Amino acid sequence: MVLKVYADRMSQPSRAVIIFCKMNGINYEEIKVHISKGQHLTSEFAEINPMKQLPAIIDGRFKLFESHAILIYLACAFPGVSDHWYPADVSRRSRIHSVLDWHHSNLRRGAAPYVFNTTIAPVLGRPLNPQAAAEAETILTSSLSKLESFWLKGNGRFLLGGNQPSIADLSLVCEIMQLEVLDEKDRARLLDPHKKVQQWIENTRNATSPHFDEVHKVLMKAKERLQYQRLKAAKNEGGSDMKKPLPSRM
Amino acid sequence: MKLKVYADRMSQPVRAVIIFCKVNCINYEEVRLDIAKRQHLTPKYAEINPMKQLPAIVDGRFKLFESHAILIYLACSFPGVADHWYPVDVFKRSKIHSVLDWHHSNLHPGPVTIVRNTVLAPALGRPFNPEAAAEGEKILSASLAKIETVWLKDNGRFLLGGNQPSIADLSLVCDIMQLELLDESDRDRLLGPYKKVQQWIENTRNATNPHFDEVHKILMKAKEKRQNQRLKGENHGGGGSDMKKPLVSRI
Repeated sequence: MVLKVYADRMSQPSRAVIIFCKMNGINYEEIKVHISKGQHLTSEFAEINPMKQLPAIIDGRFKLFESHAILIYLACAFPGVSDHWYPADVSRRSRIHSVLDWHHSNLRRGAAPYVFNTTIAPVLGRPLNPQAAAEAETILTSSLSKLESFWLKGNGRFLLGGNQPSIADLSLVCEIMQLEVLDEKDRARLLDPHKKVQQWIENTRNATSPHFDEVHKVLMKAKERLQYQRLKAAKNEGGSDMKKPLPSRM
Repeated sequence: MKLKVYADRMSQPVRAVIIFCKVNCINYEEVRLDIAKRQHLTPKYAEINPMKQLPAIVDGRFKLFESHAILIYLACSFPGVADHWYPVDVFKRSKIHSVLDWHHSNLHPGPVTIVRNTVLAPALGRPFNPEAAAEGEKILSASLAKIETVWLKDNGRFLLGGNQPSIADLSLVCDIMQLELLDESDRDRLLGPYKKVQQWIENTRNATNPHFDEVHKILMKAKEKRQNQRLKGENHGGGGSDMKKPLVSRI
């Protein structure tokens, strides 16, 4: 029975898992679950993941959720996965755990709510929340600084001084890619100060080509649509009675 | 060179690491830092952990922070650690990773948010914030419900149907123990509906005693102090007391 991956490519951790599978020649069936249509909230999906979140996997009778746990499982359970993704060496592996844990409470905790509360919320029928966005932005900028000054210190092309990517690079870069849907000015303001971060994103993208771009297509289409809506809104500014989504211009 | 553990036993993840070391007879030196005195914010400590958080360890030349990463490192690096703490079996191990990851974004923020916006606010130089505490309560209740119905759904004494504790049990129970700092009636209100959770806390405590109780002594002392302050505050009629008392949200 082939591995099943329940995913929505608009979800950052879903993309990390899918790219990992493709990079490592892991045979899988992608089962698309659309968050925007509430498909992750059905009782059917709750049997796969009672936390009703993506991604989740089923391997035979084994069910698993939480993307970091999934990435580690895949690295350990499937043959032919190169050591650099999740090294056998205990010290190197521990450092990867350390950055993956840090990610939960820092980069993800900043980036995801910032993008949601400035841009994505209306798509999911929820209001924008400038206050939540401001709080998230503080966490996000602090996290990007920590990436620049600590996790990317030294001369490696990847996190922790690595010259090849690990599951941590994939997970964190997919998170930062979500910033693509922001207003260009916002995105530039957030990322421009961090040259190492920008280079590292590019390194990770190149190291996982062509899968990285292919898996990010859905996100880039959403980016285009949102940019178009912003342009339209800018043109129509001044009294149109047409309903238009108003992305926050913070 | 002995393992060094940088610790403040008022911190939940610190306690999990210390208890793990004691239960598994890992030889270590506890380097005490007082969070209330901002000792974790010094440039000296930043050399140990640039994120300026506790716990952190130094093992020879190897430095590590983030308690889950530390627990896993200790389980893998020190001899004599029983398999149930962090099983070699990839399926069991993955499930433990799953609950540890879930914990970051679910259980952990709950008690932290409630406690730092109410009882610990003065010590942290923060204002009382009943709204933030109420948010924390929502997160906590939702997480406790998930522990009751998902993580404890099988008939084991521990998470994931286990009959012996893993590092996940230790980490999550130490977090819930932080609620001891709240007013008894608040704590009972929050934990009361969850019988399996209460039993599991007791199971984890029994499985790791006497170390569990010993490591939690400082928290229990802080709990006693607050209870006395509350009683004093009530004896003075509550409203006009000139003594600063922690205002636990009674939402």
